[in-house]
Amino acid sequence: MSKDCGKLDEAGNTALHSDYPDKLNNIIHLFETLPEDERRETIVSYAENAKKQEPRKDEQFDLVDVRKDEECMDTVGVYLQVDENGKAHIRMTLGPEVQTLTRAMTAILCKGLEGCTPQEILDLPSDFVTRIVGAELVRIRSQTIYYVLTRIKGICKVYLDRQRMAEVA
Amino acid sequence: MATNPTQYAHPDALVETDWLEKHLKDEGIRIVESNEDVLLYDTGHIPGAVHIDWRADLQDPVIRDYITPEKFAELCSKNGITPDTTCIFYGDKANWWACYALWAFRLFGHGKVKILNGGRDKWKAEGRPMTKERSTYPRANYPLPKKRFDKEIRAFADEALAQSKAKKPLIDVRSPGEFKGEVTHMPEYPQEGVLRGGHIPGAKSMPWKTATNEDNTFKSAPELAKIYFDQCGVKPGTDTVVYCRIGERSSHTWFVLTYLLGLDNVRNYDGSWTEWGNKVGAPIEKGA
Repeated sequence: MSKDCGKLDEAGNTALHSDYPDKLNNIIHLFETLPEDERRETIVSYAENAKKQEPRKDEQFDLVDVRKDEECMDTVGVYLQVDENGKAHIRMTLGPEVQTLTRAMTAILCKGLEGCTPQEILDLPSDFVTRIVGAELVRIRSQTIYYVLTRIKGICKVYLDRQRMAEVA
Repeated sequence: MATNPTQYAHPDALVETDWLEKHLKDEGIRIVESNEDVLLYDTGHIPGAVHIDWRADLQDPVIRDYITPEKFAELCSKNGITPDTTCIFYGDKANWWACYALWAFRLFGHGKVKILNGGRDKWKAEGRPMTKERSTYPRANYPLPKKRFDKEIRAFADEALAQSKAKKPLIDVRSPGEFKGEVTHMPEYPQEGVLRGGHIPGAKSMPWKTATNEDNTFKSAPELAKIYFDQCGVKPGTDTVVYCRIGERSSHTWFVLTYLLGLDNVRNYDGSWTEWGNKVGAPIEKGA
């Protein structure tokens, strides 16, 4: 994990707190070095690759959560598999109405969080999103880019809760 | 103007997908894509289309208002648009933002405007050509617009209040839940920052989608007349104000009333519910 990100707290002070997984950190750094045009092209490229994050034939999952929420325009499916080393592997499905930025964030998160533990994913701050997307593209109606992260964290939380319940049972 | 029309008042304000595919390279037209999904144009668009972003290109970055006439002239010039260019707008979400961009062009007095009936979704569903190649055109010299037509086609909060008090037609085109005050956001959308739910007193609820068919094309003139003349109490010769949350869905209805039903006194209250619902001193009603 790397520690190199800060954001302003409510008093306007820089708070250094963000720990990102290495794979995600590499993606963040890539986007931060790109000129605006290339940033947009790269986002679109990630969006077009979102389909590659769908479950593959014969894959087994520990948890599956497919639903359509008010916050998003179409159905989003999250599939979690945790291997024998406790590492999470996430697949996702997106309905056709899901916006381009959200598609891109899906591909970025699936790649960037590959091999993290569910607890690491749960602890991930969301302040990296604007560093990838850029302030210009994050709009009120683009907030579903955060929704994908929320859904991934949600399934990890359910997994951890069930694990804890099994331990005390 | 008839209140029982058999055809659109201005049928030339619409182009069909089939026609457009055959006229992509016509001189004197500019195809303009405007979307809610800010990156949709980059994923592919109609060959030759330019992208005009409702926020970055049409809105002032500091004041909640539209760009200055100077910036509008520059926007048109860089896209090779002159006052003689016929701009054909299309986009996602059943042409919400296309109608919004068209309305903004009319604010600056650009008269030659059309909508692609059915918008981007219909074009794509029909398997018509798309490209990722960004379209560029020789720079034009768009003259500085002499005035902005705010008074003619735009309503401000005090005018919406006057409309309400005078019990003149005021159409709320949001979803029924938003109108009733049950929710403060559109279905499937995030909260856009409004304190109160409900509607402007006296407004009639007529969701924008009532004007469209399943394929996002506009309903026929007799159907539209029934909706707006019979059910909403809109009358030729009486001012009408339309509103939604931020003015894009109401631009769609403004287009229907102005171009398809031929009313010449319809104004879009673009401040809409994100202004009214937060505005100190503004009265609201809740319920159906």
